[in-house]
Amino acid sequence: MSMDSVMKDLKAINAKYQMFHAMSDDVSAGDAAFLFSAKDNLTSNDMETCAGSRILEGYRPIFDATCIAKLREAGGKLVGKTNMDEFGFGTFSTNSGFEVPKNPYDLNRACGGSSGGSACAASVIEDHVSLGVSTGGSICCPASFCGVYGIAPTYGRVSRFGLIDYGNSLDKIGVISQKATDLKKYMEIIAGRDERDPTSMVQPEFVTAYRKMKSVAIPKEGIEGLSKEVEAIFKDAVEQLKSMGVDVDYVDMPSLKYAMPAYYVLATSEASTNLARYVGMRYGHQEGDHSLKFDDYFTEVRSKYFGDEAKRRILLGTYARMAGFGGRHYAKAREVRQVVINDYKRVLETHDAVLAPTMPFTAPRFDDISKMSALDSYKADYLTVPANIAGTPHLSVPCGYDSDGMPVGMQFVADHWNEDILFSVAEDWEKQFDLRRPEVSI
Amino acid sequence: MDVKTVRDVAKFAHIALTDEEAERYCKDLGDILSYFELLNEAPECNERGVNPILVADIVRDDEPKTEYDADDLIRDMDTYDRYVRGPRLS
Amino acid sequence: MKIGLECHVQLPTKSKMFCSCPTADCEFPNTYVCPTCLGMPGSRPVLNRQVLVYGIMIAKMLNCEVNDTTWFARKTYFYPDMSKSVQITQYDNPIGERGVYYLDGKKPIRITRIHVEEDPGSTKRTADLTSLVDYNRSGIPLAEIVTEPDIATPAEARQFLTQMIGDLRHLLDIPDDLEWEVKCDCNISVGTERVEIKNVSGLKNAERALHSEMVRQIAMIKAKKKIVRETRRYDPDRDVTISMRVKEFEDQYGYIDEPDLGVYHIKELADSIRISESPQNMILRITSQYKLDPKMAKQLVNTSMDLAVLFEDIAKEFGTQNAIKWVGGPISANWRAMEDRGVTDLARLKELIGDFSEGGITDTQCAIEIKSYMTGQDAAAAQEDSAGLETLINEFLDKNPKIVTDYQKNDKAANQVIGYVMKQTGGKYSSAEVVETAKKLIEARF
Repeated sequence: MSMDSVMKDLKAINAKYQMFHAMSDDVSAGDAAFLFSAKDNLTSNDMETCAGSRILEGYRPIFDATCIAKLREAGGKLVGKTNMDEFGFGTFSTNSGFEVPKNPYDLNRACGGSSGGSACAASVIEDHVSLGVSTGGSICCPASFCGVYGIAPTYGRVSRFGLIDYGNSLDKIGVISQKATDLKKYMEIIAGRDERDPTSMVQPEFVTAYRKMKSVAIPKEGIEGLSKEVEAIFKDAVEQLKSMGVDVDYVDMPSLKYAMPAYYVLATSEASTNLARYVGMRYGHQEGDHSLKFDDYFTEVRSKYFGDEAKRRILLGTYARMAGFGGRHYAKAREVRQVVINDYKRVLETHDAVLAPTMPFTAPRFDDISKMSALDSYKADYLTVPANIAGTPHLSVPCGYDSDGMPVGMQFVADHWNEDILFSVAEDWEKQFDLRRPEVSI
Repeated sequence: MDVKTVRDVAKFAHIALTDEEAERYCKDLGDILSYFELLNEAPECNERGVNPILVADIVRDDEPKTEYDADDLIRDMDTYDRYVRGPRLS
Repeated sequence: MKIGLECHVQLPTKSKMFCSCPTADCEFPNTYVCPTCLGMPGSRPVLNRQVLVYGIMIAKMLNCEVNDTTWFARKTYFYPDMSKSVQITQYDNPIGERGVYYLDGKKPIRITRIHVEEDPGSTKRTADLTSLVDYNRSGIPLAEIVTEPDIATPAEARQFLTQMIGDLRHLLDIPDDLEWEVKCDCNISVGTERVEIKNVSGLKNAERALHSEMVRQIAMIKAKKKIVRETRRYDPDRDVTISMRVKEFEDQYGYIDEPDLGVYHIKELADSIRISESPQNMILRITSQYKLDPKMAKQLVNTSMDLAVLFEDIAKEFGTQNAIKWVGGPISANWRAMEDRGVTDLARLKELIGDFSEGGITDTQCAIEIKSYMTGQDAAAAQEDSAGLETLINEFLDKNPKIVTDYQKNDKAANQVIGYVMKQTGGKYSSAEVVETAKKLIEARF
C-alpha cells in the first residue's frame, strides 16, 4: 500500500477497527516522508486531543507535543490520534470515553491498552509507526496483543512536553511498529533533551549502535500464573533465543511481587492530582451552570464526564495520599520503587536483560473483559509493571501465536539508558521470526 | 473501607456518587486496598527518589519571554472581556 | 496570648516561577499567560533559578538553616483561580528552617520555615454572583515565612511585620516607591484553642484583625463559651472576623512530591550567596560598635543606608567624634534636601570634614560649606541664614533661660525653641536643621 492509498482508505480502515478518534481529512499523503499516528494523550495543534476522555472534548491544543513536532520536522505526516483507555487508565482500551479499538486478529477481542489504538494502527496499516505511552505497561501490552514490536524507553529519554499526564514519575513515550528496525529509526528522532521537560534533561547520549545481546535472566516470578499456551510458546521462544547464541539463566527477583501494589499507589496518587485540573473551566467542557457554587459546579462537571475507571482511580489516589485517611501507603510505595530498581540493577550487572512473557494471556474477548473486576484487570499487568515502576527501558517482540491465532509477545528489560541492546535483540529476532500479519480487508 | 469514607474521599475529589456507585466503589476500593497491604511486607529502603532516575538541578534563567499569542491561548475559553468565566465563589 | 504568622510576599523576579511569562503589571487580563500557568493539559513546569536565589537570601536573613537539598510538592485544592487545582509549593525539605529574627534587636521570634511557592490567579465577583478569573498572576513566585507563636500582642505583630518587611525590601532591592504587599494568615490563641485568620492584606489590617479576634476570644472566655479551632476571615469595613469553615488540617491537601521538577542541590549556591546587612542589624551593630545613642543610630539608618555607611566611613577615617558631630549633625539634617536635588557624590563632604579635622577650616565654616553643598544654597547666603538662625535661637534662650536647665533633665525642652523658630520664620529652615542648631546652642550654655 502506498502512502496515498493508505490515506484514501483511512476512513474505511477506521470504520472497521476504530483505532482513531480524530483523523486527518486529507486523501493524499502529499510530500510526506512517512505516515504516523499518535496516542490521543499527546497534544497535536491541528487535531482535537482528548486523552480518551469526554471531559476534554473540544480541547484544541495550541502546541504540538515535542515528540510529534520532531516527527513532523523529520517529514512525518500525522494521520490520526489513536483511541486509548481514558487518561491511560486500563489494560484493554475498553475504558475509552470514545470508540474502543478492535484487535486486528479477531474483532471480538481487545487490542490491549492503554495504547490499544496505536498498536492496532501499527498492526493494520502498512509501513506505519505509532507513538504510544507507557505508565504500567501500556506500550508493550497492546504490542503483544496486536502482534507488533513496541519499545518503552528509559523514563526521561523522550520529552513529556505535550503529554497529558497520568503519572509524572512513570509516563514514558515510545514507538510501536510491525518492523523492529522502525523502533530504533523513530526513537532516534524523538529522543533527546528538551528544555521544556526537566525530566528529559539528565539523559546521557542516546547510543543506538548495534550491541549483541549475550545473556538474559528469567525471573521465576515472571513465569508463574501464565496461561498454558503462553507458557508453551514462551518456552519455545526461549529455546530459539538460545540457538541465537543467547545464554539463559533463571533467577530470583523477590521484589517483583511488591511492584504491582506500589505502582498502583504511586500512579493513582499522581493521577488524582493531575486530574484535579478538569473542573469545567479553561479547556474541554465548560458549559456548566455558573450560578452554582464552585464546589458544586466542579463536582457536577467531573461526575458527568469522567468515566467509571477514572473515578475509581481518582478515589483510590486521593485516599492513598491523604494523611487523614492514614496515607502511609505513598511513602512506602516510594521506597518499594527503589527496592525494585535495586533488584533489577543487581540482576543486570551480570545479564544484558531480564526476560519474561509480556502478558500472561493473549488478547481476551470483550465479553470476558466486562466480567473482570477492577482488581483482576490491575493484576493482569503484573509482568509489565515492574519495569515500568523502575523506569527501565523494555521492549516487546512477537514470539508466537496461540491456537486461535492470537499473538503472544515476550518482553526484554534492560538497565537504565541501555536501549541499544534492546534495539539489537529486536532486530536479530526479527530476522528469524515469521511475523504473521493479520488479514486486513475493508 | 466503608461507604462513609468513600463519600468523604469523593467529596475531597469533587465527584458526586450515586448510592449504587458508593456501594460499588466501596467494594472495589476495599479489595484493592487489602491488596495494597502487601506493601507492609516489602523490605525497607532508605532511598526514596522523587523520580526513578535522578533528576536534579534543572533550572532556567530569569528571562521573560512571550512565546504564544495570548489570544490564541484563550480562544477556546469561555470568556467575558478577556476574563475567564467561572462559577460562583461563595 | 500566643500569635504566629504565615506571611506571603511576592519575589521580584522578571519572569514567573515555572514559566517565562513576564511578572510585570499588565493592563489586560489573561495576557501574560502561557500553557503552563494556565494549567493546560500537556504543559510542564520549569523552575526559575532566581527563585532559589531569593529564597536562600531570605533564609539567611532570617538566620535559618538552609537545607542541602530541596524539592517541591503538590498541594491539591479546588478554586476557580487555581489553573491546575494544584499549587506547586514546598512541604518536606523547604529552603530554610529553624531560624530566628530579633524584634528590635532584643526579642527573638523563632522562624519555623521559609519556603517558595506559586501564586494562583485572581478572581472578581460579577453582579450576577458568578466569577471572572484573571490568570496574569498565576505562577508568580512567592516566599512564605512561618513564625512560631512567639509574638505576644497584635501591636507586636505589626511591629514584627513592619521591621521584617523593611529588611526584606532592602534585601531584595525593592524600589522605595514600589508598593509591595504582604499577605498574612494570622494565628492567635488567647486561651488554648488556636484560630486562624486567613489572607489578611497589609500590616495595618494584620494588627486590626488580630485585635478584633483577640477581643472576640476574650469575650468568649469570659462568657465561658468554648472557642472552636477554625479558619476565619477578616472584614476590614466592619472590623470583625467571620467564620469560614471548620479549620482544615494540613493532611487534607494530600501532598505528594512534584516529579516534573526533580530535586535541587542548593548547598553550593547557598554558600556562594552573601547578603547585605539588614537595616535592623546595622542599627544594632553601630549602636554597640560606636557606642551611639540608639536614637541616633536608628535615625541614621532609617534616613538612608548610604548615610549610615558614610557615618562608618567618616568614623574610620576621622574618628567617631567627627562622625557623630558632622554626619549625625548637619549632614543628616540636610540629607533629604541633597537627595531631592539628585546629588549623590559624597566625596566633597569627606573633603570638608578632612579640612576641619586638620584645622584648615573652622567649625562654623565647615558647617556652612556642608549645608551649601548639600542644599545648593550659596555659601554666603548659607552663612547669613545660619547666623540668622543662631541669633534667633540665642535671643529666645536669653529670654527663657529655664529651658537650658530643663533640657538637662529632659531634652524635650528643646521643642519650645523649635516651636518658636518655626513660628517666626515659617518654612525658611528645615526642621532638622533647627533641631540640630537648637541643641547645639543649648548644650553650649551648660
